[in-house]
Amino acid sequence: MLSVKNIVKQYANHRALDDVSLEVERGKIFGLLGPNGAGKTSLIRIITQITAPDSGEVIFNGKKLNSNHINQIGYLPEERGLYKKMEIGEQILYLSKLKGLSTAEATTRIKFWFEKFDMGGWWNKKVEDLSKGMQQKVQFVATILHNPELIILDEPFSGFDPVNADLIKNEILELNAKGTTFIFSTHRMESVEELCDNIALIDKSKKILDGSVDDIKASYRNNTYQIEYSGAADLVNLELFDVIEHNDIKEGKCLKFKLKGDASVNQVLAFLLPQVRINHLKEVIPSMNDIFIERVKK
Amino acid sequence: MNKILLIIKREYLSRVKKKSFIIMTFLTPLIIAGFYGLIIYFSIKGINDKTDTIAVVNQNKTLTEKLTSNKNVTFEYVDQSFESLKKNLSKSKFDYVLLLPDFNVDNPKGIQLIGKKQAGLSLDGKISDSIEDLIRDYKLKKSGISQADLDNLKSKVTIDTKKIGDTGEEENSSAGASTIIAFVAGVLMFMFIMLYGVQVMRGVIEEKTSRIIEIMISSVKPFQLMMGKIIGIAMVGLTQFLLWIVLTFSISALVVGVFVSKDDAKKIVASSSKVSTGNPAAQQIQAAAINDGPLGNVKKSIENLDFGKIITVFIFYFLGGYLFYSALYAAIGSAVDSETETQQFMMPVMMPLLLGYALSLSVVTNDPYGSVAFWLSMIPFTSPIAMVVRLPYGVPGWELALSMGILIIGFIGTVWFAARIYRVGILLYGKKASFKEMIKWFWYKN
Repeated sequence: MLSVKNIVKQYANHRALDDVSLEVERGKIFGLLGPNGAGKTSLIRIITQITAPDSGEVIFNGKKLNSNHINQIGYLPEERGLYKKMEIGEQILYLSKLKGLSTAEATTRIKFWFEKFDMGGWWNKKVEDLSKGMQQKVQFVATILHNPELIILDEPFSGFDPVNADLIKNEILELNAKGTTFIFSTHRMESVEELCDNIALIDKSKKILDGSVDDIKASYRNNTYQIEYSGAADLVNLELFDVIEHNDIKEGKCLKFKLKGDASVNQVLAFLLPQVRINHLKEVIPSMNDIFIERVKK
Repeated sequence: MNKILLIIKREYLSRVKKKSFIIMTFLTPLIIAGFYGLIIYFSIKGINDKTDTIAVVNQNKTLTEKLTSNKNVTFEYVDQSFESLKKNLSKSKFDYVLLLPDFNVDNPKGIQLIGKKQAGLSLDGKISDSIEDLIRDYKLKKSGISQADLDNLKSKVTIDTKKIGDTGEEENSSAGASTIIAFVAGVLMFMFIMLYGVQVMRGVIEEKTSRIIEIMISSVKPFQLMMGKIIGIAMVGLTQFLLWIVLTFSISALVVGVFVSKDDAKKIVASSSKVSTGNPAAQQIQAAAINDGPLGNVKKSIENLDFGKIITVFIFYFLGGYLFYSALYAAIGSAVDSETETQQFMMPVMMPLLLGYALSLSVVTNDPYGSVAFWLSMIPFTSPIAMVVRLPYGVPGWELALSMGILIIGFIGTVWFAARIYRVGILLYGKKASFKEMIKWFWYKN
């Protein structure tokens, strides 16, 4: 639904985005990853039409991105903020009317979300009277209220306690199940693995990796396995594998190894089975965190 | 367009609903009405209701006539020596001792005034006036003018200033009335542009520091947000201005109606001319109002001023001047992270406004048709103040039209200029902006 094509954005002294292209599929959760200052916010600002690219284009639903698309996009910036002196209800109403909702429609929806998010009685409160977490909730509601087709969330979980973070996460999944597309920018790789279907990794203004989370992880498989066992093993057969780690754990030992050449994990098992009792075997697939660090460090 | 309306509405309502706005709006007319009340009160009573008693020791042999006492000063001629009076002053009923030594009337010297307290400027003035009168009368009489002729000489002059109107008929005008209106309009204009311009700047800074700006400009264009804010605040200013006019007039009318009887009103007219010749402080307060003598004259010319035109033009220049400056204030607000950082940028914006203000209230009121007045009322940096100050004196139609045209072009220019800086500035946090930086922003592509 959203194609970013060869975007270049040049600021006075540095190039924020250098020929970045990516494809966000409808109904998917897309993770936009990258270290600080990589150019994520610049890209998001181009998609939300806050700034324009120097070259390249953004296609939204088959059309070149234009001001009519503003109402179909919801954006939760990393730098959160609300009018401090304004009442909550009025504030959300204002923001959603700017996104094209009618007063009546917006009021009904605000009431629905206040009910759902346990925010009853907040209507007349002022923002400055709310805690930071509560303000985040208000902001989340303001972001999704106009039922956008595409929601862009920049670090959506920062500032939330685990209970509310869970509430937001479930809401994201629920909206996603109904067909809403998400672009999700974060540093927290565990939430990427949990939520994202696809990702793009941007580093130093360039896209250095993209694809589905599963594919990327699969491509980073390197025949590393981990076995927990009890008993004494004599690891003499080093033809099959290299030992990466070999530690005592609570019950028995944990062996992490990498297969050599054509060796299969079955051969390793066959070698170990006569000696020890196998408690647990799993393939070690690098986490997004590992992949992130590995790619960015390069 | 719809979005601009929404922004205007929010900016307007959020300010008009503030307690400070409501208090200011209702308190200011009360204060103004209070001032009126005080002025009227003192006009009736006389500013100085305390009478100073002065012992006069006259050693002068030429001046045989006595100083005449009046409402504020009582002269009492005594036959004691100056020294003994001085010594016993604290116990005596006199406030001051005045020594008139035997001076040459052509060169009066050595006059001394000793008091329980330091004599104020006004008393000093009154006494020297009285002595000068005395000497003049003496000299006139010496040259052969009779007392009767002398009394005849003192006539009260009121000039009935009129000017020929555009249509050729005579219009009542009075420099006094025009000056009052010019002053009030000039001060109001300066205050308005400052107050509301700074409000625009605060609003922008607030949006920036609270970080709502990112959410806002993902929904609206920076230009829409800036213009919405500027227009919304302009409407707050107009609301306040109109409420002030209505409230001030009705409260003043009420005060005058309730507290001032017809007799008193006559007394005000009569006494005001007297007061104005005496006390310089009173003179200052009332100079404008009473310069030409009877209040009635001023009143007539005030009635003759075209208030409809003045208020319309005032509102035009308020909006024009406000738009001209507030756009610059918006640009400043966008470039900083907090209000404390605004100083270095405020100065260059404030200077022309202050200059316009100072020159308008001095040079322009003195010579409303001079070349300084003309140029000040053409240059858009100063024209909002200079023109409303000139207006009560009468300004040719073509000058007014030209000045308005220049101002319109001027504010379109500053709005355009400011918008280009604003759109970049609002998205930069924690970066210390400089003028050089801001000029760079101006050239940024979107």
